[in-house]
Amino acid sequence: MNKFREGGWHILLLLICLVLLLPVVFMISNSFKTLQDSYHSMLQIIPLHPTFSNYTTLGRQIDLLRLIWNTFFMAAIVTLGKLITGLFAAYAFKYFSFKGKKWIYLIFVSTIFVPFTVIMIPNYLVISKINLLNTAPGVALPQMCDATGIMLFLKAMDKIPKSLIESLKIDGISSHMILKDIIIPILRPSIISIGAIFFINSWNEYVWPTLILKDKSSFTLPLALQNYISSEGGTNFPLAMALSTIMIIVPLFIYLIFQRYILNSISNSGLK
Amino acid sequence: MGSEIALELKKVTKKFKGTNVISEMDLKIKNGEFLVLLGPSGCGKSTTLRMMAGLEKPSDGQIMIAGKDSQKISSVERNIAMVFQDYALYPNMTVYQNLEYALKIHKVEKEERKRRLEKILETLNLAAYRDRLPGQLSGGQKQRVALGRGMAKKSSIFLLDEPLSNIDVQLREKARDEIQNLHEKNQQTIVYVTHDQLEAMALGDRIAIINEGKIQMIDTPDNIYNHPANLFVAQFVGTPQMNILEVNYQKEMLTLNERPLFFNTEHLKNMELSEGNLYLGIRPEHIIVKRKQEISLELPARVDQVIDYGRYQQLTLNIGKRQTIKAIITNNEFKNDDLVYVLLSEKRALFFDHASKKNVDA
Repeated sequence: MNKFREGGWHILLLLICLVLLLPVVFMISNSFKTLQDSYHSMLQIIPLHPTFSNYTTLGRQIDLLRLIWNTFFMAAIVTLGKLITGLFAAYAFKYFSFKGKKWIYLIFVSTIFVPFTVIMIPNYLVISKINLLNTAPGVALPQMCDATGIMLFLKAMDKIPKSLIESLKIDGISSHMILKDIIIPILRPSIISIGAIFFINSWNEYVWPTLILKDKSSFTLPLALQNYISSEGGTNFPLAMALSTIMIIVPLFIYLIFQRYILNSISNSGLK
Repeated sequence: MGSEIALELKKVTKKFKGTNVISEMDLKIKNGEFLVLLGPSGCGKSTTLRMMAGLEKPSDGQIMIAGKDSQKISSVERNIAMVFQDYALYPNMTVYQNLEYALKIHKVEKEERKRRLEKILETLNLAAYRDRLPGQLSGGQKQRVALGRGMAKKSSIFLLDEPLSNIDVQLREKARDEIQNLHEKNQQTIVYVTHDQLEAMALGDRIAIINEGKIQMIDTPDNIYNHPANLFVAQFVGTPQMNILEVNYQKEMLTLNERPLFFNTEHLKNMELSEGNLYLGIRPEHIIVKRKQEISLELPARVDQVIDYGRYQQLTLNIGKRQTIKAIITNNEFKNDDLVYVLLSEKRALFFDHASKKNVDA
């Protein structure tokens, strides 16, 4: 009976995996098809006439390295910003007592429930007023702090025994030394995994960068991709699929390198 | 005074959410003294220690360290080391780094650091583990590292919060001896919190028994055991517990359940007991159990339970009216339901006032 149930779960999970994987498989397979093949046999997984031409065409049409660098740079700044502010804020919330701490924390956390579209226009106005339109800092600045990060770091800090910090205080170790020498090394796995999640999110980001970035030379990969699937860029699906395939390479590597930490922190944080 | 006293509590009160955890506690700890704070869980002994360490602020009163108000000096000047129950080792640092960290931050010379730590590693038998992380150590080893970290500071006062409670019973005695040896060698002032009376008895120069936020008695282990100040101390120290019987004293006669108890009147007179109800306390080892009645005033009793601990046997004796007393014997000659006679060793009996529960003799 138990075995039977377990088998049922396995089949269900396999189906879910399949559903999740199929689009990716189609993306990759279509990126190696000719335009004609992709129209006539879209669902064919193995291309009839495999070709690398989509990639070479892309290479001629756009500056791929520049795009990857732009996206990487943006994601890196945003990730770093979120990690630093998140760590500092969580440290303060966790180990310092100050007036109104509970309320401030509540306000911070409630920002998680504010949809991006609501603050999109105010943010845009602020960025334009301080003359950061069309620049990478303009994209990064409003995202440098994230209540999710604060919450995740707080959760991770909950696991550090209170006596550890007390012992350091008795020994006269200053707060910033405690953070630098003890908290950050202990939280390293959490920092890496939370950072990886931030990085991938920000790598994929589309709406906000489209608002800020107008100049093609500062485009990120999702913006460039938009050009191939919008009406103005024509409907060359194999090209769009090739660009999509390129786009997932970096996040995929990051995931593969840090997957041990990511899975650990997700299963530890109760986020699963 | 001044330099004689290492640490002093002056009318220290600590409130948590309106209730007093510690009430107006006065306490003086001499330089080089080993003081044990002993009490049941929740009695306030850990809170007292945490206030000494500066982790909690007293709601009222003062804590003086070497004659200075501890609230007004920095942690460096306070010069206190503390060992926590869970050791609080830095998990990201090796044993050596754990010991070295605070010294490094406080800019102790590298040569001096090395000299101090090598000695500590050797004394605590940790030299072989210097490069291990805390996660790779056993409970006893972790505890020694925590001790070592406290020693490395060369602090004048050493606070220990139940340092042995997370160690296997087999190793505990060894660890206890180590702490004692270290104290004998270094003559540091030590304040040691425990709920284990054996530990307290073995280690303390003096023991402060705390209950409900108050010091019930502070004295040497010997006085605590033999001359407890009140009923609480009498019952808290010693296993099995001291037997407490409600007795009556009238016309130079001591009665239990209206039955006269055998007691030398001369001895009773010297105690200057006041007439009326009293509590009589007698330790299980001061009860003599016999098969035959020799004097008519010996109490008849029935053996309810025999527990054989090997070295001695513990008898639970029913003396009628649902009252039982415990006795310790070593000759293992009684069985359940045996009828016996009980003689209380009169010179060892203690009397406590019925109302104040204080030792009449104190």
